[in-house]
Amino acid sequence: MYKRSYVVMLLLALAAMVFSACAAPAVPAGDSSGSDGDMAGDMGPVTVRYNLATEPPTVDPALSTDTTSSAVIRSIDVGLTRLNPEDSSAEPSLATDWSQSDDGLTWTFNLRTDIPWVKYNADSGEVEEVTGDDGSVMYVTAPQVEYGIKRACDPETASDYAYILYVIDGCEAANIGEGAVDDIAVTALDDATLEISTTYAASFFPQIVSMPTAFPTPQGVIEEFGDVWTEADNIVSNGPYAMSEWIHNDSMQLVKNPFSPLWAEDSRAGNVDVYNFVMIEEASTEFAMYENNELDDSTVPQDQMDAVFGDGSAYGDEGHIAPNNCTYFYGFITKKEAVSDPNVRRALSMAVDRVTLVDQILKGGQEPANSFTNPANFGTVAFDPEVAPWALTEDLGGTGYAAAVEMGKQLMADAGYPDGEGLTLTIGHNVSEGHARIAQAIQAMWTAAYPAIQVNIETQEWGVYLDSIENDAPMENKPDVYRLGWCADYPHANNWVHEVFNPDAGSNRIMITPDDPAIGDLVAEYTQLTKDAQTASPEDSLAMYKRAEQLLVDEMAAIIPIYFYTTVRITKPWLNRLYANDPYFEYWTLDQSGQEGM
Amino acid sequence: MAAGTTTAEMTSAAPVTRRRTPTGDAIRQLRKNKMAVVGLIVILIMIFIALFVDTSLFTFFTGGKAQPLIAPYHYAEVDFLHANAPPLTRTEEGKFYILGTDYLGRDNLSRTLYGSRISLSVAIVAATVSLIVGLIYGMISGYGSAVRDNFMMRVVDFLYGFPLIIFIILMQVYFKALSATDDTNPFVAWLIRIDDAMGGIFLVFVAIGLLNWLGMARIARGQTLSFKRKEFVEASRSVGSNDGRIIRKHILPNILGPCIVAETLAIPGYILLESFLSFIGLGANPPTPSWGIMISETYQAMRVAPMNVFAPAVALTLTTLAFNFLGDGLRDAFDPRLAD
Repeated sequence: MYKRSYVVMLLLALAAMVFSACAAPAVPAGDSSGSDGDMAGDMGPVTVRYNLATEPPTVDPALSTDTTSSAVIRSIDVGLTRLNPEDSSAEPSLATDWSQSDDGLTWTFNLRTDIPWVKYNADSGEVEEVTGDDGSVMYVTAPQVEYGIKRACDPETASDYAYILYVIDGCEAANIGEGAVDDIAVTALDDATLEISTTYAASFFPQIVSMPTAFPTPQGVIEEFGDVWTEADNIVSNGPYAMSEWIHNDSMQLVKNPFSPLWAEDSRAGNVDVYNFVMIEEASTEFAMYENNELDDSTVPQDQMDAVFGDGSAYGDEGHIAPNNCTYFYGFITKKEAVSDPNVRRALSMAVDRVTLVDQILKGGQEPANSFTNPANFGTVAFDPEVAPWALTEDLGGTGYAAAVEMGKQLMADAGYPDGEGLTLTIGHNVSEGHARIAQAIQAMWTAAYPAIQVNIETQEWGVYLDSIENDAPMENKPDVYRLGWCADYPHANNWVHEVFNPDAGSNRIMITPDDPAIGDLVAEYTQLTKDAQTASPEDSLAMYKRAEQLLVDEMAAIIPIYFYTTVRITKPWLNRLYANDPYFEYWTLDQSGQEGM
Repeated sequence: MAAGTTTAEMTSAAPVTRRRTPTGDAIRQLRKNKMAVVGLIVILIMIFIALFVDTSLFTFFTGGKAQPLIAPYHYAEVDFLHANAPPLTRTEEGKFYILGTDYLGRDNLSRTLYGSRISLSVAIVAATVSLIVGLIYGMISGYGSAVRDNFMMRVVDFLYGFPLIIFIILMQVYFKALSATDDTNPFVAWLIRIDDAMGGIFLVFVAIGLLNWLGMARIARGQTLSFKRKEFVEASRSVGSNDGRIIRKHILPNILGPCIVAETLAIPGYILLESFLSFIGLGANPPTPSWGIMISETYQAMRVAPMNVFAPAVALTLTTLAFNFLGDGLRDAFDPRLAD
């Protein structure tokens, strides 16, 4: 998923996957494992005040592509599986167990049928179960999962994330209009059994179905209300929380869904009754609200890093840093003339002083990156000195920055731009203070290494920016170098090297093509490699992913990996939360007496 | 200070008997106004700084890379190890940051000094564009028939509703697209070259000037209307002068003074507008410093490194005040009712 800004991302991580409900053995009813609202006594519902940082672009599971949307969707809906917050493995959720056929191509999911659809009743202020025409409670069943997946693949839905489901037989054909939606190989055998066929034996398939794109969706409500079915007045959902209010671009409120089995069955469940979300884009404003005790949790603005994490911090141990399964990178539009030479691209990548950037400017505990795939994924080659050693310090077996710049100077001269003479290029980024700082720092680093280079910086609003760097956007609108962050949807290198950059399967914003005069053979090798790795045994695929990264980062030098994200938060002492890739709101606990005492 | 509504009388009422020119009177009057003199001195110092902050004045013609002259360091020179340094920081490498550094370790003093270029450029470019366009339009409107006058002034009324921000965005997009297409039109190439030399903000100035001549046009028209029926114009016409000569020889010299005064008073507005545009991201390309950009990039860290915001803010305030005082002084100096 794309990260909107590193600040936002610090916060809402995403790598994906969340929610599982019932990992723990069922607890007898009445024996509440977490804590219920009644412990609050007369203090009112347990309420967390949290900043989403931006308006969620959607809460329709099929349409969600970003971290903010998915944080909300994973709180109000459940999928077949959910990801463990510790290791991102797939846990049972709607599906209690699953099995893979001997050829690895068919998956059978056994579903529980006791999760009701719920809706918030604004008149009574209660979350209520949805009943059918005959008055019986409606439960989430296999046909609704089948509907949800087919709807996401349906070109009519226009889901930007449908490609994540291309592994399902028939989804790609249907999505590009060459097949019928009915032919997609998802079949509800009965209410409690779902069978899915895949095009190749994907070991990570249980993690893919933990993504909102594969969630069950309520067909009746969608057909009744159309696009506005996700408004607070219309939405029906089935997760641990239900949406009670959504004032666009201002605030959103989630209230606990007492009918969700998660509360009784998951020993990790928290005690929060109400989430009051605000949508403040500016990190310094958010931080000021935190200091003013209007928020229980906040990002830490870059300028406050020293104040929060320095010695003798006035904030005590309220600051938290945790790894985040995202990578910040610059991509080259390889069809742009200025950066069409792989030597120029490699020289530019070599001249990025990742260690200084991370230690002196970001200061959030990020790790300098030598590869695209974040270390938290299967198939990662992060910190492997055989991949782009010039991006690594001597301690890690790399060359260190000074030697990298020397190599870069040589490459630059070989490419016909001694000291960058005659080279003019443009860095594009979306509007954000943090991106601006990184861009200006890299501009300064390039100018220091290649004094005659001319580097311009262009900024655009996020939506416009994403449009302008799409693979098929007009060339004259594209910068030479663009910035993006990528966060894992499921923790596997396939989600990185294949689904982002493979010219046949991914979004391929770097525009690599096998007919490229300079790197055509490498592109062909890369394309084949990431595809073959999908069906190779896990052991064999490791070597293939390593080779693919070498191609991507070093030989084709199509991207500049810059750093691996961290989540940097400051949290009030009375709130106990997770700092995983997704917020996991249902696992947070809050000590109300601490909050009230302020 | 007096209200400046009597410009129509001032030249005609000039005391001829004292054998002084109106301009000479005005200068004498101006010199008595201490605030205006201070303003003028500040502006002259600013112009000096802007011209000689580095050697680009010479290298623009000779080629080569400009070196800092008045400024201690180049505005884009970073020092990552000393980011957000407090004022009077001396580093192990022997660098001395009088006003501290910003978040990339760039010297605040140097950036503030360099920033004077942008602010003074907008003062000159936007004021010149708006003065020229406004004067010509206003004189054509005021001098012609009532029908033409009426039509041209309604056009002005219409343009008052034109959205400045959208115009500036369109202008930037258009010229960026042009510069990407290798257009060989020498005028466009020349414009783009100047724009690059000024950090991508020249076209913004032109846009500001092109939308701010409306007030100037109204003043020029009013002045023209009052002068075209004056006896000396009638006399000139009676001896056979044509319209062009009357406008050139009689009307323009008489209305130019008040128009320049009005334009001087508008300059602080342009400087603030540039800061505002830079603040919201429509201004100069980084790392070119403009006071507005410097403030917008650093204000969030005000508690950590207040000088980052303080230095450009003080410079901005000083400059706008100086232009305001000078403008007020000029207006009073040209006002005969205040003459001694």
